Amino acid sequence: MEMLNNLLLGFSVALSPFNILMCLVGVLLGTLIGVLPGVGPVATIAMLLPITFNLNPIGALIMLAGIYYGAQYGGSTTAILVNLPGESSSVVTCIDGYQMARRGRAGPALATAALVSFFAGCVATLIVAMFAPPLAEVALKFGPAEYFSLMVLGLVAAVVLAHGSLIKAIAMVVLGLLLGLIGTDVNSGVLRFAFGISELADGIGFVVVAMGMFGIAEIVTNLEHTGQREVFTKKVTHLWPTKEDFRRLIPAALRGTFLGAALGILPGGGALLASFGAYTLEKKVSKYAHEFGQGAIEGVAAPESANNAGAQTSFIPLLTLGIPSNAVMALMIGAMMIQGIAPGPQVMNERPQLFWGMIASMWVGNLMLVVLNLPLIGMWIKLLTVPYRLLYPSILLFMGIGVFSLSNNPFDVLIMAFFGLLGYICVKLECEPAPMILGFILGPLMEENLRRAMLLSRGDPLVFFQKPISASFLVVAIILLAIIAAPNIRKKRQEVFVEET
Amino acid sequence: MKRALTAIALAAAAGAALAQGWPSRPVRLIAPYAAGGPIDISARLLAGKLQESLGQPVVVENRPGAGGNLGVEMAAKSAPDGHTLVIGAIATHAINPTLMGSVPYDPVRDFRHIALMVQVPNVLVVNLDLPASSVAELIALARARPGKLDFASGSTGSTGHLAGELFKQMTGTYMVHIPYKGAAPAVLDLVAGRVHLMFDNLASALPNIRGGKVRALAVTTKKRSSFLPDLPTLDESGLKGFDMTTWWGVMAPAKTPQAVVERLNAEILRALEAPDVRERLRAMGSETPAIRTPEEFTAFVAAEGRIYAELVRRSGAKPD
Repeated sequence: MEMLNNLLLGFSVALSPFNILMCLVGVLLGTLIGVLPGVGPVATIAMLLPITFNLNPIGALIMLAGIYYGAQYGGSTTAILVNLPGESSSVVTCIDGYQMARRGRAGPALATAALVSFFAGCVATLIVAMFAPPLAEVALKFGPAEYFSLMVLGLVAAVVLAHGSLIKAIAMVVLGLLLGLIGTDVNSGVLRFAFGISELADGIGFVVVAMGMFGIAEIVTNLEHTGQREVFTKKVTHLWPTKEDFRRLIPAALRGTFLGAALGILPGGGALLASFGAYTLEKKVSKYAHEFGQGAIEGVAAPESANNAGAQTSFIPLLTLGIPSNAVMALMIGAMMIQGIAPGPQVMNERPQLFWGMIASMWVGNLMLVVLNLPLIGMWIKLLTVPYRLLYPSILLFMGIGVFSLSNNPFDVLIMAFFGLLGYICVKLECEPAPMILGFILGPLMEENLRRAMLLSRGDPLVFFQKPISASFLVVAIILLAIIAAPNIRKKRQEVFVEET
Repeated sequence: MKRALTAIALAAAAGAALAQGWPSRPVRLIAPYAAGGPIDISARLLAGKLQESLGQPVVVENRPGAGGNLGVEMAAKSAPDGHTLVIGAIATHAINPTLMGSVPYDPVRDFRHIALMVQVPNVLVVNLDLPASSVAELIALARARPGKLDFASGSTGSTGHLAGELFKQMTGTYMVHIPYKGAAPAVLDLVAGRVHLMFDNLASALPNIRGGKVRALAVTTKKRSSFLPDLPTLDESGLKGFDMTTWWGVMAPAKTPQAVVERLNAEILRALEAPDVRERLRAMGSETPAIRTPEEFTAFVAAEGRIYAELVRRSGAKPD
């Protein structure tokens, strides 16, 4: 009953005209960048952070959240029609979605993607509403020791779940941790690694790093891709899936939704992992496994429902613990801090409007997406024909303005350019920037909590094992480490992630 | 002699003329902290009022960084023509010079201190489970359990931290300082009982005191606060001379003409009396400062600089 009241409160916030507008702007933008291959939600949210500064916190967060799950819808459109993943999380949708399009079933494929996304979005909204409050209750018992151990677990999980080389993922996490050391030491006030540059006294801004590593690097990398695309724009005729389609997609969507929701909560999880997991699962359990790869509707329904569910449930650790599970959530933390909100379990109690408003807005946003997307597919496709020589310079210009406006300091723009370069080098070296960003945002928090826990225990490191919650996190982290260290599992892990690249 | 007099008269006339023509273009008010914080909000409130009385736009420019030093340094190096103003605070003008070893400006000589805007007391608050309901009981407890009590603060070198250090020095007790990043997480741990006490900013402490989440023992100012008139001061509670406030005010580069400084002082004091401004500043926990003239403000900044230099050095907060 309380949940109902809370949701009502949420809807009263989410349905205010301004917030509906923000939600609409968010999902439209999200769909737009989702459709465009190469521009992802991380880069977009990073670019928009400075703008949210002038919005009220609720509106800002509703918009940013809308971009994230909106991108999951848009990504599938490109995947199905162009065989290019608009988003990394729609990589697997390409496989069967594109085949469906080639067989003249682009319409049902698109409709399936939109409908299952909506279904998954509704379920995930309920899951967030159900599980966030009890989790937040537990989180209130979290002291410095618990937070530290949880973040250790988060970083270990991020390494385990990162795709590509394990060594590179670890290296990127460590790089992020090191970058996080720059600035004033919390306990003593000593300047670290500032090299006498007073702009570095407060550390490197998170927004600046994120915009460089994701935004600029992504754009520069995309400049390399030229080439022809086969677009099935004109072949989108009848949209609605047949009865037989429905019979096949419903169980797939259910499995995808629940698997996606579960994987979204994991640290390091989110939409990407969810869509891969769901596709793999569906391939194993489906009666039509032999059709996979040749246009099986389950191959669209499962990953598309999973990525949407995962995108939404990845908000749970953010809203309850203040800990990001992936790079987008790390950016959301940045956005909350810009608004003067310390993310954590107290947000739910102290700012119920914000908390429940955001949850309700997810449902509103999903509804908008379904209503918008089906009729607007033609328009989104036209976007694919906008030449990148116009698109990219304007994005770069807006990023420069955005970063400058953070603290009216040209130094930030230079730092962003530097991280753009670094990000490009990382792309070339096939090093994922996401673990670095997680290390960068978690590093200072970990250090702060580690040292605070040690101060409070008067220097006794056993405190991390004496507190039950903290001890269990560390044990899980150790088990995870042991698992990836085991040679045969490491091999398997490489096989699983091979499909992604 | 006559020539000298003429020269003086001319100079005075020139000064007056300058003041007459001032402000000839938009005035910028540098807020050396991020937008949205109390210093930024008060700057924006003031800018709105000054804009009306000066007849020129007053633009707030946020230049955060290096604990406020970046923006203040920029102001100190700007043209002293009255078109650049800055919000100088206890951090930038009293604590940082010693805490950070050096700052690229002289807090007294590089500025005209125009008007003190805000003074906020800190409040000594303790966790509800701590067996101390008065300052005397807290001191007794700290003596009985040396090194066992933890006091939280929003950051190393903040007034909350330094108030704790002063408390330790004056009472001869030893408590461990637990620094946080900002007052909010510190308060969270105080309420949860992970730390025992805190010298919290009045504005942030007030809702928790009224909500019964923490117990207030005293204010750090020499005078009682009008927000909590029943709460004794530390000075009354046996710590004679204990007097700390968080403050900030408007300053300008050193050579700003006297006429401009006087005009600004008058306009700012008037703006501070406007009911809407006063209400917003009171919401930040501010009492109306007793300091009115630029000369008093300069003397105050110099005195605060000496007090905190001593306190920072003796507390060991200063990095060596």
